[in-house]
Amino acid sequence: MSHMQMTTKERVLCVLKYLFLALCVFVALFPIIWVIMSSFKTNAEILSNGVALPKTPSLTGYRNALTISPILNYFGHSIIITTVSTVLNVLFLAMAAYVFARCRFRGRDVLYFILSLAMVIPMTALLHPVYSVIQALGLYDTKTGLILVYTALNLPMSLLILRGTFLSIPRALEEAAYVDGAGFVRTFFQIMLPCAKGGLTSAAVLAFLQSWNEFTFALVLTSGQDARTLPLSLSYFTAQFSFDYPAMFAAVTIAVIPSIIVFAVFQEQVVSSLTAGSVKE
Amino acid sequence: MKRRALAILLLGVMCLGLLTGCGGKKTEEPAAGTSDDGVITINYPTFQCGVNTAAPVVAQLVKEFNEEYAGKYQIKLEEIPGDANYVDKIKVQLGTGDLPPVVYGAGYNLLDLALAKDLVVDLTDIVNADPEWKALYSDAALTTNSRDGKIYASSVEGSVVGYFYNKDLFAQAGIEAPAKTWDEFFQQCETLKAAGITPLALDTADSAWVTQLWWGAMVATASENGLAFMQTMNPDDYNFDEMVAAVEKVQKMLQDYTTLDAIGGKYEHAANNFLSGQAAMIANGPWMIGDFSDTSKTTADFADKVGSAIYPDNFVYDAPIQGYFVTKQDDPKLEEAAIAMVKFFTSAHAQQLGLEMQGMVPASSSVEISADAAATYPLLVEFLSQASEATVRSDNMQATMYSNLLDVVSQELPRLASGELDAAAFCQALTDAAAKN
Repeated sequence: MSHMQMTTKERVLCVLKYLFLALCVFVALFPIIWVIMSSFKTNAEILSNGVALPKTPSLTGYRNALTISPILNYFGHSIIITTVSTVLNVLFLAMAAYVFARCRFRGRDVLYFILSLAMVIPMTALLHPVYSVIQALGLYDTKTGLILVYTALNLPMSLLILRGTFLSIPRALEEAAYVDGAGFVRTFFQIMLPCAKGGLTSAAVLAFLQSWNEFTFALVLTSGQDARTLPLSLSYFTAQFSFDYPAMFAAVTIAVIPSIIVFAVFQEQVVSSLTAGSVKE
Repeated sequence: MKRRALAILLLGVMCLGLLTGCGGKKTEEPAAGTSDDGVITINYPTFQCGVNTAAPVVAQLVKEFNEEYAGKYQIKLEEIPGDANYVDKIKVQLGTGDLPPVVYGAGYNLLDLALAKDLVVDLTDIVNADPEWKALYSDAALTTNSRDGKIYASSVEGSVVGYFYNKDLFAQAGIEAPAKTWDEFFQQCETLKAAGITPLALDTADSAWVTQLWWGAMVATASENGLAFMQTMNPDDYNFDEMVAAVEKVQKMLQDYTTLDAIGGKYEHAANNFLSGQAAMIANGPWMIGDFSDTSKTTADFADKVGSAIYPDNFVYDAPIQGYFVTKQDDPKLEEAAIAMVKFFTSAHAQQLGLEMQGMVPASSSVEISADAAATYPLLVEFLSQASEATVRSDNMQATMYSNLLDVVSQELPRLASGELDAAAFCQALTDAAAKN
């Protein structure tokens, strides 16, 4: 009898658990579903009854999105700029993080503190100096300029994650490599980097997402159509006295799909590596 | 040793980058100047792109300018979609002294910001020496575009703003014509409400453009003192009887005569409430006329149901929008090109083009409404005819108030609507915010 009561309680708890999880899923997915659903509605439907299903689903929003703004062009730029800046960011920051994690040298902690401090500097405070530097380097309105900026913008977070990852890898692995005759560079690239795969993926995903979504620098550091990125295209659909919400939501749908795919594919690595490194050897 | 040398070298490069960023030396204007073939390129950033109703007009003007000045000048259009994004970018360029050769001040008063940094070219002598150009400046246009007696900018667009009403809804409530006085106006609101019709489409977010039009009209027509306030640039005292009385009426409008989504709603919500026949009146400019026949926003026959009116007590908003100005450049030839562009973009032809393509009200009264424009925008013709009869005129409140007050209006209007603030406290909040300038 007691056993039966426990089972019933467990069942109730189980149902409650799933209800709670369903609620979480609903809260997380609702904005995305709403945006996708709205992309098939008309302006009047969106503004009159935002949560209702479209009366007659239409692809006009997608047609307008592709006509009003150079969204596909910007999409291509976003892929190039985000991919290159992510690769550079992870490559350079992995090197830096390994040194911070393993080497002892004067001023190491101070330098690490200064680099981490960049995380708390508001982006608007960086606008003027970054604009001036990019101008002076002749990189205004170029993909290279944005790649450089995005590589640097993601520095503190990547450094934090990767240093933690390297700290969590046992020193014995490196020592074994050195005993077998590997040098510093070879040990780093052939032993340590494969071991830090989780952290590298995590840093890469976060850097990718930030670069993919970044708006302010993409606006300020570009002028033509050769280097602009996807977030800018979303501004083409609203002005002070005119708006085309279906086209905007269609563009948002096109814009968020890659982010969702990247996160969905690598989510396990991201979550696991965010917690990795919390325990030091 | 090699590693240390490399480290020092990299440190040097990093420091050089830092110094470059912090240095005060003015850098060259990006993508502007003289090319190898002698053509001067004018880099022109504009927010009039995408869904902005003026986008086709600007594109056409750029095309015509480039054809007329082929081999000499060329405009390179830089699209900055979104009004706020445009203002943000211009402000960053102001900070670094890298303004583009031509800037459109629009409704954002960028002229004063650029003047504060002494970056604007004085056009007084050039305009005075050109009778054709000078003739396009009305007294109001001179006021808008001049500072201390010097002309710095040139307007292309007028801002004549009244309100629109739904003739079908008026007829349903038994109202025959728009109100001539404010008492009659509020009586009409009561009549509409009694007939189950929401009288007004209002908003509170994004500085409450629609709501503040009604509010300003009540202030301007209250007394000489109210009108003087409306004609003052950057007024700092909102604590006077006419203002408090007008705010009390705005409170009543928000509480009794509008839709639920007006509180916290933006212009789009107000526009949709009018376009979908849920509200009988909306205050707005003629640029909205195109929406009345846009089937993605309303029904096909909606345009036939809309009438226009000036505000009670014979008031209409009438002030040219701040125009284009030329910024100081290292290359005098680039400045010359920029002046040619400003003259072209604000010419009688440009104003006519804006009228015909967009239904834009010309800045100059000497620009006549062509038969084509009258056929395309009959409501505009009707409205301009009504506006010409108005006896009280001023700029709108949003254009003259300190820019930091725009957010205060958006924050405090919902509190006014809920009764958390009374009219006097609302006016005090505005006065306090104005005092911070």
